[in-house]
Amino acid sequence: MRSIFRTSALLLAFLVFGLIVAGCQAAPAVEPTKAPVAATQAPASPAAGAMTDVGTPRSETLIFQTFDRQTANPDQHNPLMAYAQWRGFRELAWGYLWEMDTGTGKSYNELAADFPEVLNKEYTQFRVKLKQGIYWSDGVEFTADDVVYTLETILKNKDKITLGGARTISNYVKSAKKIDNYTFEVETTGPKYDFITVFGTYTWGANLTILPKHVYEKQADVITFRNTNPVTLGPYTLKQFDPNGYWALWQRREDWKRSAWGWMGEPKPKYVLYKDFGPEETRLLAFIQNQYDVDTFMSPDSIKAAQAKNPAVTTFSKTMPYHNMNDACPYGVLINQHKSPLDKPEVRWALALSLDLQSVGVNSMSGEFKASPLPMADTEILRPLYFEPLLPWLKDFALSDGYKPFNANFSPELAARLQKMGQPASALPQGDKALSEAFGVGWWKYDVAEAEKLLTSVGFKKNSAGAWLQPDGSVWQLEFVIPGDWNKVMQRIGFSMADSWKKFGIQVNARQVDQAEHTSVQNNNSQLQTELMWTSCTFTANYVNAWRTISAQYLKPANDTTPITGNPFRWNNTKAHALAAEAQTLPTDSARFREIGQELLKEFVKDMAWIGIMNIPTTIPTNEYYWTGFPKQDNFYSVPYSWWSSAREMIVNIKPTGKR
Amino acid sequence: MGLIKYIAGRVGVYLVVLFTGITIIFFLPRFMPGDPIEGYIGRMQYQAGQTLSAEDVESLRASLRELYGLTGSLPSQYLGFIKRVFISGDFGPSLAGYPRPVSEYIATALPWTLGLLTMTTILAWTTGNLIGLFAGFFHNKRIATVLEVIGVTLYPIPYYILALVLIILFAYIWPIFPLSTTIMPGALTMQKVGEIFRNSFLPGMALVLAGFGWNVLGMKAMAYSTKEEAFVNYARLKGTPPFTIMIHYVWRNAFLPQITALALHMGMIFNGAILTEMLFSYPGVGSLIRSAIGNGDYNMIYGTLSLSIVAVATTALAIDLLYPLFDPRIRYK
Repeated sequence: MRSIFRTSALLLAFLVFGLIVAGCQAAPAVEPTKAPVAATQAPASPAAGAMTDVGTPRSETLIFQTFDRQTANPDQHNPLMAYAQWRGFRELAWGYLWEMDTGTGKSYNELAADFPEVLNKEYTQFRVKLKQGIYWSDGVEFTADDVVYTLETILKNKDKITLGGARTISNYVKSAKKIDNYTFEVETTGPKYDFITVFGTYTWGANLTILPKHVYEKQADVITFRNTNPVTLGPYTLKQFDPNGYWALWQRREDWKRSAWGWMGEPKPKYVLYKDFGPEETRLLAFIQNQYDVDTFMSPDSIKAAQAKNPAVTTFSKTMPYHNMNDACPYGVLINQHKSPLDKPEVRWALALSLDLQSVGVNSMSGEFKASPLPMADTEILRPLYFEPLLPWLKDFALSDGYKPFNANFSPELAARLQKMGQPASALPQGDKALSEAFGVGWWKYDVAEAEKLLTSVGFKKNSAGAWLQPDGSVWQLEFVIPGDWNKVMQRIGFSMADSWKKFGIQVNARQVDQAEHTSVQNNNSQLQTELMWTSCTFTANYVNAWRTISAQYLKPANDTTPITGNPFRWNNTKAHALAAEAQTLPTDSARFREIGQELLKEFVKDMAWIGIMNIPTTIPTNEYYWTGFPKQDNFYSVPYSWWSSAREMIVNIKPTGKR
Repeated sequence: MGLIKYIAGRVGVYLVVLFTGITIIFFLPRFMPGDPIEGYIGRMQYQAGQTLSAEDVESLRASLRELYGLTGSLPSQYLGFIKRVFISGDFGPSLAGYPRPVSEYIATALPWTLGLLTMTTILAWTTGNLIGLFAGFFHNKRIATVLEVIGVTLYPIPYYILALVLIILFAYIWPIFPLSTTIMPGALTMQKVGEIFRNSFLPGMALVLAGFGWNVLGMKAMAYSTKEEAFVNYARLKGTPPFTIMIHYVWRNAFLPQITALALHMGMIFNGAILTEMLFSYPGVGSLIRSAIGNGDYNMIYGTLSLSIVAVATTALAIDLLYPLFDPRIRYK
């Protein structure tokens, strides 16, 4: 009995002792502001300044909130498999043949000395010259041997590689050969007009990550090889990582000038830390305390709270919608067009016209969004290519009953509404052009009378409770699948959309699901009615990636239980099929290619084959206490995303503030 | 002979529970709407910013089915699973983290879970029961009322709120503990022990406070009712000192159900503390289970839940076998 008391007393003493020890620690350096702004750790010495939790000087460390929170496979650094993509690998470590300027959408040379030389008129043979004087982080020179070895390894292990990009390469390349140390040739499996973006970067990532031949050829099995201490091409090397997947620390190479992108200029931070700071509640506190510099997808409410406490927290733009809207993927409603009653265009149009998008955006995103009526994001790159040329057509477009559904005044109306709600005029863009650039070219009218007319025209009726009945008399139950907690922005938007439809009398079941189920629903006809999705990602004039499978051959019966392999829109439109097929036979920079893109967009609209909602609101606030010069609307050298090649542009362009 | 029969009966039940539990967890994920392959393909589809072509999707799907061991009929997969689990304890590779084995994930996460939850469960149990005992035995004293009020106040606070309050107090307003966990890899030195302690303190404190109230209330009720029993009154009338009554008469009887509760809590430790891990970015089994369910990672679900089933069943067996030592009535039977 006494021993139990003794043990309890010891445990209590331990607890108290722990409190005392922790309490005795020096208080963190506090900046003289009203907010409780604290550095990450107490200074090691007054001269050294604050230190990070991983023991580096805070003033020399750029800290990103990790995109994927806790990584599932922290010691897996083999780019043939998944997980060596985030936490600095794509951004700092790997080198690519061609990179993409995220501000303009134009490809530029990184490891390649020039764009590929097309060797035959069939577009199946390509010659690539490499830059000289680029070295791996262990001092071995990068040559054509590395590229050819990588391609051959991918082809040889095709069925064991699980990374999607490598799978694309394995189906794209027929053979590769070295010509000399700095030249190689590739033969593709068919005519290829997108060689630069398939072998280089398109939007955020690249299919082909080049392996160091001198490391990999010594491995018994390149698939199970984890590459825990990776030899890399970028100007940073992996210094340390958390075995539990919460952080990774990178250190600048001494010889960064001869790395893959050393030519871009000096990478300013000596260290780059990717770290998870927990859910939004704790992230917000850490952000206010200057514990990290760049966030990923913080909600508008939290950003406002952070700004109120810490003036160093800034958004992309000083006026609404405050955030950069140039992500390649739009949010929209994926519809199973095979299933009744969604197989009728009148029903799909009724869904679009009964959606009060202004209310949805105000309720879920505080009005900080940019609408897009097309299955494409209304970005600065795509607007002059597809949106502006189609604007007159959109304004004139009429449904079969003669009704013109497009609302070109969507943005001014939204701005007026926001002003009425209390937004100061200084926070809103001024003038039609600025409003259009901020909130979009327009969207569909919120017109429940026309939506009602459309539903009635195909046999729908409303019952006494105001619920819509299908032509067979049953209540129309619409299942709308939305992401759960794993994508809170979409979750909020989804619930708000369901609310809008419910007000119109549609019995919506907004079902939030985990990520695996979300994809299962997307790919399975039997599970899909409607789903909030980000399919249809296009970043440049080249839309083939998004629409190449719009074809009859990938259509399956309405309730088929086997997963689809293409045509996620379940779109049976002969003209669209022909256009998508023709686009794949053309150079992506040709006038006809672009014209086909515009024609396809028109077909999408006529059929309302996908209800485009808005650009992804990339809410990425920065904290400029230790570093300044991040990409902003008035300093737009790249998009502000920390997980694209823009991270490289950011790293060479930012400057230390001198605060320690 | 009676003892052997007693032990054999308990061990028999234990084995049946294990087999049934592990069989159920094989089939359970198969009824989930998420599919590990489709989930993985979905993630891959956009990883390079390039939608996979139909040919890529088809070949990736076929490869994954083969690599993940999802080919063949369900009964044949079940037999293979039972054979692997019961003979070699092998749960195969994680489907979301292929080809890393599930056992490696568990081996990395488990020490954190065990360390944090064992410590906090025992602390919450010990302090809660001690306070509950005093509060119940001396129920008419003011200090007992105060202690009870503390228990009643803490008990209903949702864990998430309680933990957030602690974070705001001790990591934000008075920033003496880190907001999120950062533990440097490397050998276990005294410095590292201190680092672990500093990083674990807030998560631990949140768990102790969350479990403490329940123990206070449970023990207080038991102690209060036991002290009114006839044998306690008899001891009191005989002139037995109050402290002796409290320890030898009340506590020994009142703590029996609490022992069962402690043992079951210890078994549940293997489930991890999902909210704690999420809030504090603390490593552990809870986040493995959470992400396994989210990704439809069958093998990870099998591995983590089997661990939990084995732990709960084993602690239940241990209670059954050890209970006679605490309770002479069972020994007598």
